[in-house]
Amino acid sequence: MLHRRLPLRRPAKALLAASAAVALFATAACSSGGSGSNSDSGSEGSEKVIHLALGQDVDTLLPMDSNVGDNIGVLDVVFDGLVRYDPKTTKPYNYVAQSIDTSDNKVWTIKIKKGLTFSNGEPVDAASFARSWNYSAYGPNAMANNYYFERIEGYDAMQGETDDDGNVTVKPKAKELSGVKIVDDLTMKVTLTAPFAGFSTMLGYTGFFPAAKACIADIKACTTKPIGNGPFKIDNWNQGVELTASKRKDYKLSEVPNYDKIDWKEYAGSSSWPDFQAGDLDLGAPPPEQWQQANNDPDLSSRKVTKETADLTYLGFPLYRKNRPWDNIEFRKAISMAIDRQKIIDTVVPSQSVPATSWVAPTIPGGKADTCEWCKFDPAAAKAALQKAGGWPSDKVLNIYLGKDDTSEAYFKAIGDQLTLNLGIKYKLIPSEDFFAERSARKFDGAYRNNWFPDYPLNENFLAPVYASGDPKNGNTNFGYYDADFEKAIKAGDQAPDIDAAIAKYQEAEQVLAKDFPTIPLDFSNSITFYSDRVDNIVINPFSGATELRQLKYVG
Amino acid sequence: MVSYVVRRVLLGLLTVLLVLLLLHLLTTLAIQLNGNPALAFFGDHVPSASQLHAVEVRYGLDDPCYDQPGNPCLGPFWERLVQYAHGDFGTDLQGRPLTELMAQAVPNTLRLFVIVTITWLIIGMLLGSVAARFRGRPIDHSIRLTSVLIDAFPVFVMLVVYRFIFTVPLTTWARRTFGSDSIPALLFKPSYSNDHPWITLIVPGLLLGLTGCAPFLRLVRAAQLENYNAEHVRTARSKGLSNGHVTAYHIVRNSSVPVVTAVGFVFADALSGAVITEGVMNIRGMGNLLWQSVQKSDVSVVVGVVTILSVVTIGVMLLVDLAYAALDPRIRYD
Repeated sequence: MLHRRLPLRRPAKALLAASAAVALFATAACSSGGSGSNSDSGSEGSEKVIHLALGQDVDTLLPMDSNVGDNIGVLDVVFDGLVRYDPKTTKPYNYVAQSIDTSDNKVWTIKIKKGLTFSNGEPVDAASFARSWNYSAYGPNAMANNYYFERIEGYDAMQGETDDDGNVTVKPKAKELSGVKIVDDLTMKVTLTAPFAGFSTMLGYTGFFPAAKACIADIKACTTKPIGNGPFKIDNWNQGVELTASKRKDYKLSEVPNYDKIDWKEYAGSSSWPDFQAGDLDLGAPPPEQWQQANNDPDLSSRKVTKETADLTYLGFPLYRKNRPWDNIEFRKAISMAIDRQKIIDTVVPSQSVPATSWVAPTIPGGKADTCEWCKFDPAAAKAALQKAGGWPSDKVLNIYLGKDDTSEAYFKAIGDQLTLNLGIKYKLIPSEDFFAERSARKFDGAYRNNWFPDYPLNENFLAPVYASGDPKNGNTNFGYYDADFEKAIKAGDQAPDIDAAIAKYQEAEQVLAKDFPTIPLDFSNSITFYSDRVDNIVINPFSGATELRQLKYVG
Repeated sequence: MVSYVVRRVLLGLLTVLLVLLLLHLLTTLAIQLNGNPALAFFGDHVPSASQLHAVEVRYGLDDPCYDQPGNPCLGPFWERLVQYAHGDFGTDLQGRPLTELMAQAVPNTLRLFVIVTITWLIIGMLLGSVAARFRGRPIDHSIRLTSVLIDAFPVFVMLVVYRFIFTVPLTTWARRTFGSDSIPALLFKPSYSNDHPWITLIVPGLLLGLTGCAPFLRLVRAAQLENYNAEHVRTARSKGLSNGHVTAYHIVRNSSVPVVTAVGFVFADALSGAVITEGVMNIRGMGNLLWQSVQKSDVSVVVGVVTILSVVTIGVMLLVDLAYAALDPRIRYD
């Protein structure tokens, strides 16, 4: 999987101690694990088992509450969504859904294929989707995927309100989304609060999976042994140690891999790389300090797959603090052009990233490279732009804020060094444990690191959630950015007649960003996966960077 | 004797209470200053007030005192004490009972302790006794030099070097030579395996024991040297007792008081080592549990685990003190 865990909206928590060993703990235990040589009672001969690794911080398998790379990866084979994404184009196609239709992008009619069941025999019907969505959307349940239902009518009535002291002032008025109506067994009608052409694209995300009656009846049991409608069912989860799943016999749809069992071994932040090398795991990724060695090993690098993902790192400025150098677009241009992105990647994270030249990942529908005209390294132009912006006082220090994480600290130190070298700007790195809280509280006075990983493969997701606020006075929370044209283009996209027209409108919104230049794109991560000689056909999803388990082949 | 034990138990309880209070104040302050773990739940997403509140309720952090820096939050502290008194140790953020988490973790840590203690006793006693016996000779010097060298190698360096450099070739070799389910192949597995709890813990336990045994070894040597020249040993020899008997009954036994104390401390020591060892070798034990919980700001697990550990440590110390009486007839607790 990835050399750094994809924080799906959740930060990869940085570490507390500061010792040489920490670098080793800090490497996310990605991909695969298992006790290669000793599965239960020596049934190895007949059964095809895949051994993978899982980060030990996976603490739930409830789809409504799962939003971290690792549990999403598990649930991808335990559940089927209404749509799934083509790993080559990341475009959605109907899977559990027979059809998804709309005439105005506001009212959507979803028809479900006949005869599908959960692993406990319950039918997969319209009610099973409504059940799950209502549970997620109900505020007091505090589900991680609650906010995905904001666009559906009736969401607000399920939230309740609290004042600043955390006292409940208004209790939720409803327990069900008024916008989700069950027409008949296999048909549902979903009404949104406003037109949104990308709604059908969202439906493949974990938060939209269905829920069996038995699951809602005993939520606690369902967090450790979810009742899924996918090709695999969870056999046992010894939480913190091991998770096993086996193929369902009664599965009716087509996307089923050729192996019988998956065995995830959990890693507590320590790297699973030695286990991969020893042959106990089928997929692995080396920690930073083993990187060179792994790539120079001819045998290992012959079993390596690299793919660019949609994981964007970019530099932001507190535009809400007025009358600072960064208010001036020329200053931001200077900073951007003074950074030699390729060189930094080559020295700090060799071949683990590619320089970003756009705000939307090119791997995503609607994304294309080179929308950012000032993202190329040009020290002379950078100096000229800085002159135009009025220069930078030599006694001042530019603060650069980021979360605590060894790799990103090294990365941003390299960026700061380039600013000093090419523009003469002195800098200071300020890594902090409470980066997110401070960013939301608008406490920054200097540049800061941001990271965005999309929730669903649509260019809108790189734009609206990050930059739109509808608040001309204050702008959005993280940057204080506001542009009427940008908001207009996003709205136009939401209301476009079909997805292609919507994508074109969203691209216009990206053009507005390119003109305003509020943030500086830096890089998109690569997903780098090494695999054992027991498996084949490694397909990496360019959107999530995860290995497609349903396409993985066991060759023994 | 009885009054002594009662006094010590009461003192121990007071200590645990103080530990609890201190830990509570620290974690509370951490939440107040760092922002709520509930905020981390949302990561990049900016939650509305009601969303945040719902998560705070779920995490048991909805008491308004957690938003006021400097407030000691004694209300939640008292609630926790009452719960503990009823034998209810609460749950982690995901609602798993702490007792269940402990039941999973404790056996692994105890196994590690057993291996560490055996390593200590064997290596420390053996080498320490040999060094004392041949004091001033080359063998004594080389043992003492070895102990300094061991000291110079922190446990995490040893473990990391072992895991990233030695395990892979050793496992590969052992599997090829003896078969994949053979004992040597399992012995050198890069990570702990739940299916073979003892055998995959031997090497990590040995390494952890080895790093801790150097001061112990020097302690054994010093304690025995004191006895070699003592009058009661001379008396015993002059009575014509055999050399082995004198060593066993008059030297080793009499020099055991500091040694027993040290074995008591092995608990505290091995625990701090266990956090690192379990982290590096991926052993699901107490140290690992603590590590994970601190990272997640899972207050109730951190407080619960540390409480139980302090109770155990204080209990062990009491047992150690009582063992003195058995080893040294001059010590009386009246």
